[in-house]
Amino acid sequence: MNKLLISTLLASAMAFPAAAETLRVGVATAQTGALAPFDTPVIDGIHIAVDEINEAGGIDGKIKIELLEKDVRSDAAQTSIATQELVDEGVSVIVLPCDADPSLAAIGVITEAQIPAISTCASSPTLPQIGGDYMFANFPGDNVQATVSAKWAYDEGHRSAYIIYSPDTQYTTMPLYFAEVFEKLGGKMLGEDTHTIGQQDFSAIATRIAALDPQPDVIMTSTYEPDFPSMLKALRAAGVESQIIGSDGIDSPTTFSLGAVAEGLVFTTAGHPTEGSPLEAFNKKFEEVNGKAPETVFNAVGYDLIKVIEAAVIAADGSTDAQTLRDAIANLENVQGATSTITYKGTDGMPLREVSLIRVKDGGRELIGQPTPDASLIPEPRVQ
Amino acid sequence: MDLFLQQTVNAFALGGTYALLALGLAMVFSTMGLINFAHGELMTIAGYILMACGLAGVPFAFSILLAIAAAVLAAIVMERIAFRPVRNASGATMLVTSFAVSMILQVLFQNFISARSQAVLVPEILSESVRFGGLVIGVNKIAAIVTTIVMLIFLDRFMKHHRIGIAMRAAAEDFSVARLMGIRANTVIAGAFALSGFLAGVAAVLWVSQRASVDPLMGFTPVLKAFIAAILGGLGSLRGAVAGGFLLGFIEIYLAAYLPSGMQEFRDPIALCLVVLVLIFRPNGLIPSPALKAEKV
Repeated sequence: MNKLLISTLLASAMAFPAAAETLRVGVATAQTGALAPFDTPVIDGIHIAVDEINEAGGIDGKIKIELLEKDVRSDAAQTSIATQELVDEGVSVIVLPCDADPSLAAIGVITEAQIPAISTCASSPTLPQIGGDYMFANFPGDNVQATVSAKWAYDEGHRSAYIIYSPDTQYTTMPLYFAEVFEKLGGKMLGEDTHTIGQQDFSAIATRIAALDPQPDVIMTSTYEPDFPSMLKALRAAGVESQIIGSDGIDSPTTFSLGAVAEGLVFTTAGHPTEGSPLEAFNKKFEEVNGKAPETVFNAVGYDLIKVIEAAVIAADGSTDAQTLRDAIANLENVQGATSTITYKGTDGMPLREVSLIRVKDGGRELIGQPTPDASLIPEPRVQ
Repeated sequence: MDLFLQQTVNAFALGGTYALLALGLAMVFSTMGLINFAHGELMTIAGYILMACGLAGVPFAFSILLAIAAAVLAAIVMERIAFRPVRNASGATMLVTSFAVSMILQVLFQNFISARSQAVLVPEILSESVRFGGLVIGVNKIAAIVTTIVMLIFLDRFMKHHRIGIAMRAAAEDFSVARLMGIRANTVIAGAFALSGFLAGVAAVLWVSQRASVDPLMGFTPVLKAFIAAILGGLGSLRGAVAGGFLLGFIEIYLAAYLPSGMQEFRDPIALCLVVLVLIFRPNGLIPSPALKAEKV
């Protein structure tokens, strides 16, 4: 027995230095199913960052990153199972799907195992709030995005607004934050409509809005494709000419291929490739690796995520211990990612990141600005 | 009053699309008792052809033809590969097979095309609208209504006068007797699939031109709506499928238009409750299939 103990100890002591040279990152995300459109581009960005770091010798020149990937099929239960499997394989950090709901399903597992988890691109500020100490997000929060767009609308002289939202997910309730901020600023809400995700026909809603007198100055929604183009076309076909404001979900090639109906549309997103910006550099690198330009900013968001992990390992003096890394992530400040600088210090896990306001102009993107919203305007996270 | 008329036009346009979808399901069900849940993927295939044609710069009118042809071809191939081997199996086996076909196709689309939606270039004219007195009607609505009417007239004539149409009706009433009369089962079933593919292709053009994008999971919602419409109308009855499609369209639009805003969240459950209510009074659907001998206890 003693022999066994000693040899085990010896073996583990010998194995230890080797283990410290690799950071095992578990990736439990949706490669198939309804979340795949969002998770797969993030994973592409993650691969670019990991390859870049490993080719340069690893984090700080010595710690290689090893990815352990599992498909959770966009399913909450499967996310929890995959996370448990990754925990059993001894990962130090876990990457969870883009939506708050499956990520929340893994909270029990990560909290129990005391391993930090980062959602690929969930933007609901309630995720880290409910998720506790080990749950981090990687995207500008819904409430922050809505504050930026409401402030912009008000400053443009728009005084009345209408919202269309879906109670189906946390993300699609972003317009409720918009309404809160818009009213706080002194604007007037003329009404609201709800829809279901996947709804094909918006003609009834569009007809009702077209019949409003006076017409709202602004219509805000966080609906994304395929619903969004349908909604936009229905509104315009019914004769509604109000300014329409969307959110990051419509930062997609479809939006820019809609032609005249999309002209003047404004939306918030995670970044904009200005001249000489890290995002421009990332986009160039993406094109080199994949042979085509990125379709969405979510690629760069994946790159950001690995940069955060890299910064945390460096801040933890090269430690790959999960608890140490959690504390390091929670104290990160101004990490330079591809889309923005990222700060977790002083937050509950919802990072402080830049929000870009984009306008569709001549079928292309025009940057309106990258404002930092007034903290006193940002609404409290609300569980829908 | 104008508002009511406007919403009625909306209901006709949506109901017409549902009717085409439900007809596609009913066509196959009436001949071989299969509810083809992969019907939606035929639409997705047509959608991807529209996307590819847009990228290649093919004129939209021509790409519509290509898309419909692709859906017909895919339906025939689907029957030959997946459904012919299980033709004599139980209804449950065929149902599960159709789910399998649907999922396999979705995963293939996700892996070989893209998990993300792809933009489809739709002519600007379809986003415009026309004024009739106080009514504002979108060109795509007019297109949907006109297409539905043309398709219904075409199908009616086909089923009444064409040899294969008559054979299909005979097979729907009693397949064994129809075969004893010398009607070839393969021809009838392949014909039914081809027609259902045709309907899926036409519906896909209407559906995709409204949303301007196509994604791997696009087929799910339309096939679900078609299924509800087909049940509502009377499963296996072609006229029933049309009636069910229109009724479902009317229910959805009028609820979205006239439910008070606090109740809007419950629009879908309320719509389904109304469907159930209709089925309580007409358990075999609005216009039951004459071949339906099932007795409800």
